[in-house]
Amino acid sequence: MMTKVKYKLGVDIGGTFTDFFLVSNTGESVMHKTLSTPEDSSIGFITGLKELAEKCSLSDDEFIQSIDTIVHGTTVATNTLLTLQGAKTALITTKGLRDALEMRRGIREEQYNNHYQNVTPLVPRSLRFTLDERIDSDGNVVTSINVDELELLVEKINTENVESIAICFMNSYLNNTHEKQVAIYLRKHLENVFITASCEVLPSIRFYERVSTTVVNAYIGVDVDSYIASLQEKLKKLNFKGGFSIMQSNGGVVSPEVVRKIPAVTVLSGPAAAPIAGAYYAKMLGYDNCITMDMGGTSFDASMVVDGQCITSTDGDINRYRIALPSLDIITIGAGGGSIGWVDSGGLLQMGPKSAGSLPGPVCYNRDGKEPACTDADLILGYLDPNFFAGGKYTLNKDKALDQLNKTLATPLNLTDIETAAGMYRVINMNMAQGVRQVSVERGYDPREFLMIVAGGAGPIHAGEICRELEIPMFVVPNAAPIFCATGMLLGDLKHDYVRSYIKRFSQIDKKTFLALYDDMIQESMDTLSSEGIEKENTQLVPTLDLRYVGQYHEVPLQVDMDNVSSFDLDVIKNAFHKEHNRQFGYSLKEEGTELEIINVHLRAIGITEKPNSFAKMDDAEPVKNPDFALKSKRIAYIPELDDVQEISVFDGDLLTGKYSIEGPAIIEQINTTIFLGKTYDCDTGVGGSFIVYNRDHYPNGFDINQKKLGK
Amino acid sequence: MVKIDKILLSIFQRTFKSITDEMSISLTKTTRSPILCEAKDFVTGLYDAKGNMLEQTENLPILSFSLGPVCRVILDQYGEDISPGDVIIHNDVFSMGNQNNDVAIFKPIFHEDTLIGWAAAKGHQADIGGAVQGGYNPNATEVWQEAIRIPAVKLYEKGKLREDVWNLIFANIRLTMVQEDIKAQIGACTLGERRLQTLVEKYSIETFEAHKQELFSATEKMMCSEIAEIPNGVYHGESMVFYDGKHKGSEFTVRATVTVKDEAITFDFSKSSEQTKGFVNGTYTSTCSAITLSFLQMVNPNIPHNEGMIKPLTYIVPEGIILNASYPAATTFGNHLCPQVADSIAIALSEAIPDKVTAGWNHLLCSLFTGNHPKTNEKYVDICFLGLKGGSGALKNSDGYDHIGMIDASGGILDQDYEMFEQQSPHMLLYHEYLQDSGGPGKWRGGLGVKTKIKLGGDDTTMVVFGDGDVKTPYGLFGGKTSVLNKISLTLPDGSEKIPMSKDMIEGIPSGTIYDQIAGGGGGYGIPIEREKDSILKDVKNEVVSKNQAKEVYGINIEDNT
Repeated sequence: MMTKVKYKLGVDIGGTFTDFFLVSNTGESVMHKTLSTPEDSSIGFITGLKELAEKCSLSDDEFIQSIDTIVHGTTVATNTLLTLQGAKTALITTKGLRDALEMRRGIREEQYNNHYQNVTPLVPRSLRFTLDERIDSDGNVVTSINVDELELLVEKINTENVESIAICFMNSYLNNTHEKQVAIYLRKHLENVFITASCEVLPSIRFYERVSTTVVNAYIGVDVDSYIASLQEKLKKLNFKGGFSIMQSNGGVVSPEVVRKIPAVTVLSGPAAAPIAGAYYAKMLGYDNCITMDMGGTSFDASMVVDGQCITSTDGDINRYRIALPSLDIITIGAGGGSIGWVDSGGLLQMGPKSAGSLPGPVCYNRDGKEPACTDADLILGYLDPNFFAGGKYTLNKDKALDQLNKTLATPLNLTDIETAAGMYRVINMNMAQGVRQVSVERGYDPREFLMIVAGGAGPIHAGEICRELEIPMFVVPNAAPIFCATGMLLGDLKHDYVRSYIKRFSQIDKKTFLALYDDMIQESMDTLSSEGIEKENTQLVPTLDLRYVGQYHEVPLQVDMDNVSSFDLDVIKNAFHKEHNRQFGYSLKEEGTELEIINVHLRAIGITEKPNSFAKMDDAEPVKNPDFALKSKRIAYIPELDDVQEISVFDGDLLTGKYSIEGPAIIEQINTTIFLGKTYDCDTGVGGSFIVYNRDHYPNGFDINQKKLGK
Repeated sequence: MVKIDKILLSIFQRTFKSITDEMSISLTKTTRSPILCEAKDFVTGLYDAKGNMLEQTENLPILSFSLGPVCRVILDQYGEDISPGDVIIHNDVFSMGNQNNDVAIFKPIFHEDTLIGWAAAKGHQADIGGAVQGGYNPNATEVWQEAIRIPAVKLYEKGKLREDVWNLIFANIRLTMVQEDIKAQIGACTLGERRLQTLVEKYSIETFEAHKQELFSATEKMMCSEIAEIPNGVYHGESMVFYDGKHKGSEFTVRATVTVKDEAITFDFSKSSEQTKGFVNGTYTSTCSAITLSFLQMVNPNIPHNEGMIKPLTYIVPEGIILNASYPAATTFGNHLCPQVADSIAIALSEAIPDKVTAGWNHLLCSLFTGNHPKTNEKYVDICFLGLKGGSGALKNSDGYDHIGMIDASGGILDQDYEMFEQQSPHMLLYHEYLQDSGGPGKWRGGLGVKTKIKLGGDDTTMVVFGDGDVKTPYGLFGGKTSVLNKISLTLPDGSEKIPMSKDMIEGIPSGTIYDQIAGGGGGYGIPIEREKDSILKDVKNEVVSKNQAKEVYGINIEDNT
């Protein structure tokens, strides 16, 4: 009897490549990359599917039939915001408050730069309309909507051919009847227009965050909607009958139907999978805390996992457009393989944030790039093999890189080419390390207590030096590093976030009202999860309260137990808040007896999905073997600890599938990843198919996976 | 001799910056007063053993020069008597403090037994004693009516808290929160101390010293090359200050003489008016900060903020003038003379570097409401940021920034959120939009001003007003035009209107009163009729420029073009 193989597939569409990660119910996995098709990214998606079928020696139809789940990360929303190619959008808001969206509370991010411009508002002032309506700060109607005025407004909007409309009224978080009334009216009177009311997207206090988030939703709505519709259509044509879900910015997955209603949940759809995958790999090794770093062509992303959970925040923005929906807290700095080195007017070497991108790209790509970039330095320093870039798909031009580096950097700096390239390497590593330090300190954590998980092609060349600067004792390069986000897609649960504002001092919280808010959110979440086919026993409810001491301006989110909410156990919540406040800020006002104030109540409803059997097998018992058979060559490379070059061994990482130990300095090459081990580092393989690189000073007796302890 | 590693220079520069940034993050997270954790009215810095600035993070530009002079006062005062574990506190405006409320903490940093530097943090405290809570006392004529004076004094000696000193200081300050905020500043300094020590341990003291000097030189070179681009010459500019809070119709002049000689620049304000009898007086450091921030806006914004940056700059601000009042004058208004300092420098340099100066920015006019919130029956204080942010001046190739607010903060202080405002005060926001035709017309348009209307709730509201810009509008440049005046008015429930002075206090305002404020726009740059037609059409379409202004000032008849 033949057992039928079933697959789960993660698909991550990036700027250059579309990544695929296929896992079977028997534990086998396949990685695949194909070129992205930015004009219509569903084309690359389908091409990749067919290429995978071939890789699995199945016909297209057999292959499609054997996939029971596809999880997809899309960059459509992000790109729409970055390129400003979204729908022609109008905004309807309260009379007298027409400009909140564009004013952005009057911030200018660069205070000494008088040429620094405000962002182009997603809705120009000429399409921002106001209605004479008002709800007061207690939720009472002060001025009702005049239907005649609304009728006139629709006539006006009709002449403008808008494709999308956002509705956001003052204090609607307390009373949404006006927004609903207008939304119903518009949906009835305007055909083929995407309509979003703020109460459907983010029903919480803070007018600016709400209007901005609602407008973003409207602006990207049409594009995301049509992309998903077209993708679903194409999958249907291929006779795909399995489950299809989309990765959200909050690290959870969701059905396409929900995304088509609130497309703004996907603005970080791609990168959000990285910390999810990071948390998984860390857990597999027995660690609860990790920092995930992903160094790409133009940017460096870092995010933190604490106690097994990815940190979520509502402080996000894309391209300076504020989006206050919960999303994974990922910081991005302008450091990547394409970051350009330059000499400032004081004669100091700087790296980035300007990037050569993929066109023209670094000088060594041979595409007319003239400005030496980080990848050129990595090549000159011997970390990259000019004939084995992307597994030999491309040849890098080292002579050209050297020539341009000498011309533009080494000569003005009066340094040798190696000194210059080493300088570029050191400076960019410092930039990334400072970026990581800043995120951890800002969130109240010490980076030394975190394991570093390194994704992406260029990351493992730089990770050692970043970790040395931060005193992080070890980093892990997962076997799936080159398609890291695609693996994360398969690990996400269904997640839905709900919020209601309830502004009350603790002593004045009304039990009935408070519980009713939760009942309302629970009901909504259960309906959604059940429509996505989740059984009740596979659901999990995670409430969070936004709290602050009376007199403070910023609220602090506090995750609590559902039990404490249902039993209305405010004392437990109070004490937990004092503790969390003390952890984050170094003080609490418990002794002073300062009263707490509640601002928002959140609910995250999780539908636990079935995970792939195993990503890679763990084998503790296997003895450590000699890696010499995998020795590819020797080459001269820069050793940062010595500030000098030296001949070192290069291993073929793809051969090291068992348990091996490699002593630094050395290079481990795989098709899409190169790991550099400095003089202080050793590397163990075989644990979960990952490369574990640890600092010998911290682990003088070698690394013991069962030690589960970071540092000396 | 230590060999200079050029790459290490970049690394040191980045590390210093990362340290002062981290100190800043720590302060934002651990302070309690909204002026600190919300408005970020504080600066953190690292100094070397001689008081040279290694780096600083000034969250508001008006603090750009506020730590260095104090560091030198401390070094002079204590000489050799500095030990590990000392913590020194200071606010005194007559020994290089900038504003009474700005209290500095300095912590010496040692490597083994050698003093290698200082970590410093200075922040605007919610109270500093004196006659009026918060420090803004429009009736003050002497410093003691404004604040307790704290000349440099050790709060900790060799790691031990001097409780007597601590108690003496805080017995004179109303809010206990201030003690906590000072502790937070000490915490930030300890963080800076630890990180600089780690750096020096890693690279050795000799390497640190040599590279630090080299870094100063590199930065100085950057600044010098910027100055060298300015044609040599002596340039003059002036700007008016109206009303000292005491004498109706009083006027004062801020006069800048800017001398550029090759790679050096001197800002001389000697010819400004004498000091006033009220609190409309600057201090040496607040004026130097205003000078520094004005000039930094005309040069490459990426120059590192270290000693090398300020070395080519010479400041002449003699005692006795409105910008540097003699003991024991009241000076709390001093930071708000920044607009006049900025104006006079920009006007002076406008002929020399026409491509880099802006037209006039809107001058601050600000209200502060206090009263009882009927919902909680507790006192509230609300600085009405919503009303006060006008536009910046245009410059070559760029329109001014709309609704940015005073140049002292340059967009660093934000509006309240509308809904939070209505929760935390008893007031209702009726109107808050760009004011049509308020951007000073020009080839490049001045930033737009804003009109705000608020219905005041709660009985017995007190309103304190301070600022300027209600007598004279900002200047345009090279044919650019001006904007409108600032204006505040109250319409009481009985229909009567009340217009406050620019430094004023009005008590007993009844519920239902309508507060109206116009924060004007910035001045325009270049002749309006040369403005790109598309920009004019866009402004008209967006109703920020009226068809009438388009026709009368920009010379475009819109009816023909729509």
